[in-house]
Amino acid sequence: MGLGKEFSKGILRENPLFRLTLGMCPSLAITTSVNNALGMGVAFTSVLLASNMAISALRKIIPESIRIPCYIVIIAAFVTVTEMLMQAYMPELFESLGIFIPLIVVNCIILGRAEAFASKNTVLPSFLDGLGMGIGYTLALVIVSTFREVLGAGTFLGYPLFADSVPSALIMILPPGGFITLGCVLAFLNLMQNRKMAKRNRVTQLRMKQQAAQQISSN
Amino acid sequence: MREMLFIIIGAVLINNIILAQFLGVCPFLGVSKKLSSAIGMGVAVTFVLTLASLITWLVQICILNRLHIEYLQTIAFILVIASLVQFVEMVMRKKTPDLYQSLGVYLPLITTNCAVLGVAIINIQKSYTFMQTFANSLGNALGFTLALVLFAGIRERLEEADVPQSLKGMPIALITAALMSIAFLGFSGLL
Amino acid sequence: MRNALKLGLFLFIIAGIAGLAISYVHNLTSPLIEQQMEENKLNSFQEVYPGAKEVKDESKQYLNANSDPVLTEVNVVYQDHVPAGVIYIVEPSGYNGKIQLLVGFERAEKKITAIKVLRQSETPGLGSKATEGFFRDRFQEKSAENPLEVVTKETVGEHQVLAITSATITSKAVTSGVNAARQHFLDNFGE
Repeated sequence: MGLGKEFSKGILRENPLFRLTLGMCPSLAITTSVNNALGMGVAFTSVLLASNMAISALRKIIPESIRIPCYIVIIAAFVTVTEMLMQAYMPELFESLGIFIPLIVVNCIILGRAEAFASKNTVLPSFLDGLGMGIGYTLALVIVSTFREVLGAGTFLGYPLFADSVPSALIMILPPGGFITLGCVLAFLNLMQNRKMAKRNRVTQLRMKQQAAQQISSN
Repeated sequence: MREMLFIIIGAVLINNIILAQFLGVCPFLGVSKKLSSAIGMGVAVTFVLTLASLITWLVQICILNRLHIEYLQTIAFILVIASLVQFVEMVMRKKTPDLYQSLGVYLPLITTNCAVLGVAIINIQKSYTFMQTFANSLGNALGFTLALVLFAGIRERLEEADVPQSLKGMPIALITAALMSIAFLGFSGLL
Repeated sequence: MRNALKLGLFLFIIAGIAGLAISYVHNLTSPLIEQQMEENKLNSFQEVYPGAKEVKDESKQYLNANSDPVLTEVNVVYQDHVPAGVIYIVEPSGYNGKIQLLVGFERAEKKITAIKVLRQSETPGLGSKATEGFFRDRFQEKSAENPLEVVTKETVGEHQVLAITSATITSKAVTSGVNAARQHFLDNFGE
């Protein structure tokens, strides 16, 4: 696989949230506003990039039998560093993401990428893999949060979209809204995929019919 | 005593760890296809979460705060939780093989369950005492088990329901969870 | 056995390096974080007490075991070295947990200068409106002589505060916090 594909696979084909349904907790909890989603995406991507690179660089030194604890320590160190930098330079974002920043440690995507990719590849592909996965995850968070913020609060990135008289659907920024939005987005993606499959099936069926007809006529 | 009861009720019903705080959603969706496995997971999480919260509380108060290295909290807690899970697994395999047979498979999953680390951190953030920590973590663990078992019961029935093609699997599960979450919203303001 | 020791040592070294790296970043960022917190605090003090320059935390002097547990901090505002006003931090219980708010009082006219909600976990869109300007304005310039009362009708008297629509519990919680601060202010700074 080319380096470009290592990067692009995380965005669509293996999108961690939509395709692999990993890292659900933050995608439900902090998607009440697009701003939070972007902040979480950036924090997540930087931890994933750093841990992927560090683990792929150390992959020959880390003993096989204790690799998971080693990965966890490395990831936790990067998370703590990110947490402190955010607190120093982006205190408001730090406040609104709250407990979900330290919880990046137990985000299954990061440990999953370390185990499935970084431990088997060199630094550059691991970097691209982390970047692609990070952007894919951020994109997914932004999509979910756009629905929730526009419908639930009537704003986008904090700017009001509608007149004051238009009531907003509060439920979308309450906890149930997270489940509903993610469920609907996943259902929509399934629908698209089913259509694509059905189309492909129709095309192959048509081709088979034509072939059969040709065979009959040639006989 | 009254206060501890309030903490437990608040954690189980009002601020349910899964349906209101979104901690531990992965096992909630992953291990809820069968009622029996949901109960197994619930028991395992209850045990580990309560124990881990108490130990991390002691680590924070006796080690991190004393040495003024509070900033090592995340890394210390995750190491404590990971080794605790390993230890419980080892003890269980030796002493109670039957229990290990039924619960053992869930134990490795618990290390990366954000509910355990999440509750441990919240206990410190809210500066709970030892007893309050016990009540809060027990309440959260029971809340986790309650939501998981209820959800598994619904999902077993959903298997036989006629669901539109594109909603099958994860989407319908999420929408069911949304309905449960709405039901739990009704408890807010209870205390 | 030797292998186990070697593995343990390796993990220990990794954790040590991680710990060192974290403490290095901690030393780098902690002064910034502290400075920011100081600035934030002064900024929010100035929001509830315009023109406050010299503010001293005198909680130790004014709060003891007998004082209302809702009060968490007493900050005295000095003008020309004379205590001119007081800014309280109070934490009443709202609909979904504690609400942390600042209440400012002026001594000369015995009135509330302003309030500001610092932290809350009320229902988004309903109780969370307590943080918005319109609700804050309802407390501005109220006299501190008598307890404030929450009303839901449009006509508002001198000692009354109009509740937020469909968030009466939150409104009452905020008002009870203000009243607790008001009582302490009258008892200690009334003359």
